[in-house]
Amino acid sequence: MTTMKKSIHITWLTILCFTIIAITGCHKYLDAKSDKSLVTPSTLPDLQSILDYYLKINQMDPGAGLLSSDDYYLTQADFDGIGSNYGQNTYKWNEKDLFSSGTNDWSRTYDNVYRANVVLDNISSIERNTQNASDWDNVQGQALFLRAKAFFQAVVIWSKNYDSTTSQNDLGIPLRLNSDFNEVSRRATVEDSYQRILKDCKAAVSLLPELPLHPLRGSRAAAYGLLAKVYLSMGEFDSCFRYANACLNIKSTILDYNGISTSASYPMEKYNDEIIYASQISTAFSATNKQVDSFLYSTYDDNDLRKTLFYRSKGNGSYSFKGNYTKSISAFSGIATDEIYLMRAECNARLDRRVKSLEDLNLLLSKRWKTGTFVPYTNLSKDSLLSLILLERRKELVFRDSRWMDLKRLNQEGKNIVLKRIVDGIYYSLPPNDPRYALAIPEDVISLSGMQQNPR
Amino acid sequence: MSTEKLRLAVVRVFFYPYHARTLLLLLFNALRWQASGQDTKDPLVTLHFKNAPIEKVFIEIQRQTPYRFMYNDRLLQDAGSVALDLNRQTIGTVLKQLFHGQPFDYRLSAKTIVVTPKKKAVVSLKRLEGKVVAANGDRPIEGASVSVDGQVVAITNESGAFSSEIRENGLVAFSSVGFVPFEATMALLSASNGTVRLAEENRLTDSIDVVSTGYQQLSKERATGSFDYISRKLYNEQVRTNVLDGIQYIANGVSLNTRINANGQLSVRGLSTIQGPKDPLIIVDNFPYNGDLSNLNPNDVESITVLKDAAASSIWGAKAGNGVIVITTKKGKYGQPFKMDISVNTTIIEKPNLYYLPNMTSSDFIDVEEMLFSKGFRLGDTANANHSPFSPVYEILFQRQNGRITDAEALASIDRFRRHDVRDDFEKYFYKKGINQQYALSVSGGGEKHNYALSGSYDRNMDNLDVRFKRATLKTLNSFQPSKRLEISIGLNYNHSENKQGRPAYGSISTTNGLIPPYAMLADPNGNALPLYRDYRQGYIDTLGGGLLENWLYYPLTDYRHAQIGNKTDDIVANATIKYAVYNNLSVQALYQYELQSIEGKSLYGENSYFVRNLVNSFSQISYSNGSVTRIIPKGQIFDRSLSKMYANQARVQLNYNHVFPKGELSVLSGGEIRQIHTTSNAYRIYGHDDEILTSTNVDLANEYPNIISGNTSFVPSGISNSDKLNRMVSVFANGSYTYDKRFILSVSARRDASNLFGVTTNNKWKPLWSSGLSWNVSEEHFYGIQWMPRLKLRATYGYSGNMAPALSAVTQLTYYDVSPYTKGNYSEITMFQNPDLRWEKIGTLNLGLDFQLFGNILNGSIDYYHKKATDLYGPYLIDRTTGLAVTTITKNVASMASNGMDLSVNVKPINGSLKYTISLNLNVNKDKVLEYYGVNYNTGGVGIVGEKGKPVYSLYAYKWAGLNPQTGNPQGYLNGEIVEDYNAIMDEGREVSGLRYVGSATPIVLGSMGHSFSYKGLGLEFRFSYEMGHYFLRNSINYSNLFSNGTGHMDFSDRWVQPGDEKHTDVPSLVYPANSSRDAFYNNSEILAEKGDNLRLQYINLSYNGYFPTAGTKRKSYRLYFVSNNIGILWRANRHHLDPDYRNGTIPPSRNYSLGLQITL
Repeated sequence: MTTMKKSIHITWLTILCFTIIAITGCHKYLDAKSDKSLVTPSTLPDLQSILDYYLKINQMDPGAGLLSSDDYYLTQADFDGIGSNYGQNTYKWNEKDLFSSGTNDWSRTYDNVYRANVVLDNISSIERNTQNASDWDNVQGQALFLRAKAFFQAVVIWSKNYDSTTSQNDLGIPLRLNSDFNEVSRRATVEDSYQRILKDCKAAVSLLPELPLHPLRGSRAAAYGLLAKVYLSMGEFDSCFRYANACLNIKSTILDYNGISTSASYPMEKYNDEIIYASQISTAFSATNKQVDSFLYSTYDDNDLRKTLFYRSKGNGSYSFKGNYTKSISAFSGIATDEIYLMRAECNARLDRRVKSLEDLNLLLSKRWKTGTFVPYTNLSKDSLLSLILLERRKELVFRDSRWMDLKRLNQEGKNIVLKRIVDGIYYSLPPNDPRYALAIPEDVISLSGMQQNPR
Repeated sequence: MSTEKLRLAVVRVFFYPYHARTLLLLLFNALRWQASGQDTKDPLVTLHFKNAPIEKVFIEIQRQTPYRFMYNDRLLQDAGSVALDLNRQTIGTVLKQLFHGQPFDYRLSAKTIVVTPKKKAVVSLKRLEGKVVAANGDRPIEGASVSVDGQVVAITNESGAFSSEIRENGLVAFSSVGFVPFEATMALLSASNGTVRLAEENRLTDSIDVVSTGYQQLSKERATGSFDYISRKLYNEQVRTNVLDGIQYIANGVSLNTRINANGQLSVRGLSTIQGPKDPLIIVDNFPYNGDLSNLNPNDVESITVLKDAAASSIWGAKAGNGVIVITTKKGKYGQPFKMDISVNTTIIEKPNLYYLPNMTSSDFIDVEEMLFSKGFRLGDTANANHSPFSPVYEILFQRQNGRITDAEALASIDRFRRHDVRDDFEKYFYKKGINQQYALSVSGGGEKHNYALSGSYDRNMDNLDVRFKRATLKTLNSFQPSKRLEISIGLNYNHSENKQGRPAYGSISTTNGLIPPYAMLADPNGNALPLYRDYRQGYIDTLGGGLLENWLYYPLTDYRHAQIGNKTDDIVANATIKYAVYNNLSVQALYQYELQSIEGKSLYGENSYFVRNLVNSFSQISYSNGSVTRIIPKGQIFDRSLSKMYANQARVQLNYNHVFPKGELSVLSGGEIRQIHTTSNAYRIYGHDDEILTSTNVDLANEYPNIISGNTSFVPSGISNSDKLNRMVSVFANGSYTYDKRFILSVSARRDASNLFGVTTNNKWKPLWSSGLSWNVSEEHFYGIQWMPRLKLRATYGYSGNMAPALSAVTQLTYYDVSPYTKGNYSEITMFQNPDLRWEKIGTLNLGLDFQLFGNILNGSIDYYHKKATDLYGPYLIDRTTGLAVTTITKNVASMASNGMDLSVNVKPINGSLKYTISLNLNVNKDKVLEYYGVNYNTGGVGIVGEKGKPVYSLYAYKWAGLNPQTGNPQGYLNGEIVEDYNAIMDEGREVSGLRYVGSATPIVLGSMGHSFSYKGLGLEFRFSYEMGHYFLRNSINYSNLFSNGTGHMDFSDRWVQPGDEKHTDVPSLVYPANSSRDAFYNNSEILAEKGDNLRLQYINLSYNGYFPTAGTKRKSYRLYFVSNNIGILWRANRHHLDPDYRNGTIPPSRNYSLGLQITL
């Protein structure tokens, strides 16, 4: 009987031990990662890997500005073929319903803001020391640059153009500055939005290396280029000039279009020497359907290589865009030296430094025309020089996502550009400075966040 | 009245194996007769019968006397009818007269009248003597029956002793209520001095159903929870390849829903979750089965138990929320003679009916294409750099437009297409009859200290499309009892299966522009393959490359022959159990199971397959200047290989404690469990492969190359992927029950789980899941006296079980992708967002049950009412996309739902003579509703989750329909009560429930099955119906946007509105160009297309003959020859469109099949 009791005790003890071990020991046992491919972001390479997801970081730029601009037009059949009411609404500059709910230009833009914020939130817990200082700065700089670029693209599409007299009251964009998704989104003013963009961008300048490992990553040159663009949209030509100049001091290569095969489907190289920062618009609707504005096409000289490198005949007298710096039909929305040259030229012209301005313009065009055919411009009046630069800007930066920003700033100056489209026999027009230049924010975002819609 | 005190109990006992059942009626303890003051020692009997069945007379005698009859059903089969007219005669006289002229005899043993077969010519008799005792403590068993070759020869007395004279060398079987039946040869008996020890069978009182929870075997009687038990006999009425095939037609409360999941969602008692995993937990013997269920051999199944309520399933804790299905496999028994089962069957599967699909006719389709061409639809694509293909008719129209062919030639070519339907090609060339073959062998047996079971099977299936499946299984289980206290069991299973892809199915061939047109021709009149332009335009690829490229044509008729795609699965399960009885009341059990499943996938694409030619051509770099071609991807086979492995380790230590009190019994088990499931997989691709000599060619994966057609640059696909996942779980559990006086049973169970899927904080916060139950055997009470209901038991349980999604995690996590070709480092995406409150779903179930038996044993059944409330359910939490999470919703424990239901199970035996007829009815009612859900989703067409509070999880909502516009044929709806055609506005309003009509539940509210079983002598006939009621579905119709953009047509097109007046007899909107997707969406989600889902189908018929081989030996060798027809078809449906509500969105109902089989038991 006693042995029996003993064995009961032993058994109970075993069970008890097992249970205790199971409960206390299980913490470590249960800390094991459930999926090897899942990683908690905790090291600089982890954070860099978030920023290197080029399919999202560099290929998801918003296209609503390009689609709303006058670089192109659609035939009735192409319009009918869009298949999405939202795309059709955008083409007609509708007051609302421009974006399907869920994933759209707005969400793709803010997804990158979130990625930048995750990096910025987590980098503070990584010690910056002498070994990792340059990587540490580089990662933080890339995140700041990414956030500034995304905010700038958003403000161009969803806010009024910057006007220093009203910017304190104009509705800007939500400035999400950390990764806490429980925070409610609110719109900042246009002033605050621009100040944040400039602040992030300038902070990035001091952190980033002059040139990146690859143009898919932000760099000091890219941050300068972005700053120049931001100041141009604000109409601050001094600052624009300063940063464009700083950018070209780092990188000034211009491609010679002579020698590029005009018969290839996509003649331009993807990450060519002009590209400072590579990114592209996620296709909104097929670019092959889009026909380049016929007036714009007619302004290219026959000796202008861009006429054959950029466009393909549709056989019916109209021309569609081939695609250029992305080596695909997707539109390039990054930063390249040609745009910086044009910005510097424009600023110099506006600031009446015509010789300097002409230097940049002639340099660029000489590489765009067939060798020996281009006659450099000389001795132009300030106004005709500016007009020429603005036209060359259109011709060079066609389908490059700069036209929407230009339309807004130039109309604010009084250029009085009226956009017109015909659909189903009905004329649609977008007069200068119309409230619709600030596109309607996706309706589902408005209803979920309670933020203010743009006035219609 | 004193008659109220009548007690009645019916005991069914196995007297000898092979299913011959003897019925013992312990009966009608005739208190009425006692009360009338008669002498109990020598009762007198009065009988008046004319042409009565003898059984009826037995019952009358039992009513008048304390004597009980004991007989074998089979013996009475040949009984003649009885005519008796006796007044107050002694029992001796009565019996003599009663048995006169009958083909059997009787013997009186105390108060038991044993019906015996007529003694045949002189057989040498032998004295059979001995004693039957309980194995546990050698307590004598009184009333145990002793039978030889199925005939009862003796009943044991108070001291357990028996004695009888029998033929020599018979097989002796012993059985008693509550004990495991035991069989022995005479030799074995004499070796053990005639003492037979019967193992206790969990105090089985009056039911043979022993349910298994995976932790313990439990008699249904001792259970408080709700179980459904599927016996081997019922299970074997169907022929199946996979263990759970067709289970929904025989189990009570189990359904397979094709609306929730196109492959069929198996559920127990409807839904218990909205967004969480919906599969029930599958247990094989003791542990959850982690491998693919198709590894298992259905012939190994002994029985299946479905654990339905919390008291039944909560022992499985956080994984049991969707119910538990326990598969128990065959085992050997101690003291069982060698037994062998051989089973062979063949199934022929009919070809599916492709014309069930409501497709548009070729002619209608061509009319639409001609119209689209004239409107210029897609004509601009000719300039598209992608050179996407056009349909054959479009190409003809282009040729006519360009003047290359005349109008007459075009018309003639097009007319040829108009008369063709591609389904004819599929039926002619691709679909054939399928054949499944199944062979199985099993042996089992056991001595005093050892038992064994060994089984093997081989399956060879070839379906309608020549998809091959082969499986071989081998399973062994050995148990040893080296001492009385110790038992060791060791099992080993090995399964190997192979799948091979066959011919392409209808609908699986498509082009870059959607479906192939209905008039596509796969073969010319001579049966030669015709090309289909799948990715690029006809003419373009013919001339591209100036002869430097591979042929770029795709021939669907023959292309599948160039690819060998398949996989092989090896699955090994090894388990060991050690059970040690520390003390009579207490035993410790340790179980361990290891499983390794390895799946090797191989896809070998031949050099001439379209897949290879297309890829090789796409990456070819042509230099026109010197007319050379550089192939970035070499010619030769492409070989994709993948290997995935799953290692599961599961261990459990369990303590069982039993204590018998004078009036009650306590049974407790408790223990701990640890599980780890590790899955890894990797895949890679070999280019330029030669399978004959196993050589391959290196390719440049590091640089991008331009596509020869579009010029877009891309990398050569590497085909490499890797994954490595680990799931760990630790649990402690306890379960106890107390039975008082056989009348009351109280059960409690608790379990606590922790896993590595959630943060440690969540594991710490987790409260244990528990359940408790009470049952009351009302018919055991003294005051109980309902004669027509001899058994009545009430049950009530309440408790919780859980549900978990292994894909969720509570912390921010990145998923790493491959190395970026540009920045040369890995890139990653944020795939998990910090979500610290994430925890397990919790399902509370209240179950009230009633088990009953009526009119002797003519009717028995159970009825359960349940209420389930599932809280903390995973649900989408809509988030503002400005947050940047790249998702529209995140998963939080924000939802809840409830369901009410009823399970009724009734078995009726209206005829129980030599012809037996049994009806078994399963009726399940389940009504669920959403309590909390964030983010509603209407117009789901009955396939999605709606989420409207108070409505079923899967509900059907539709736009209100206002008919067609008589002028234009436009569909009309309502907006603020007015008839409008502003579809966008209607849809805007339709985001609110008020703008829609709630049609009804999209999942059946009532469903079940009804089985009929006849047997006469050796012949058996079983057939089973299944039915579903109370649900709705949206019928498909024409969608012009889809028709134009991807070629999806519908035969309703021919009924469309064409001219004013048509609206009187059609609801199909007119054709408009350009298509208005909102108009199509409105029509396709309007109430006019809502249909009732009610249906009744005849699922299967089983015709069998059971017979015995004429042998002189002691063992009966039997066989069963059977014919089964399955998926017989729908008998009735509520909708008038001849649609099968379970198969309606482009799927074809499973085709009928016929099986012929033979089963031999030796």
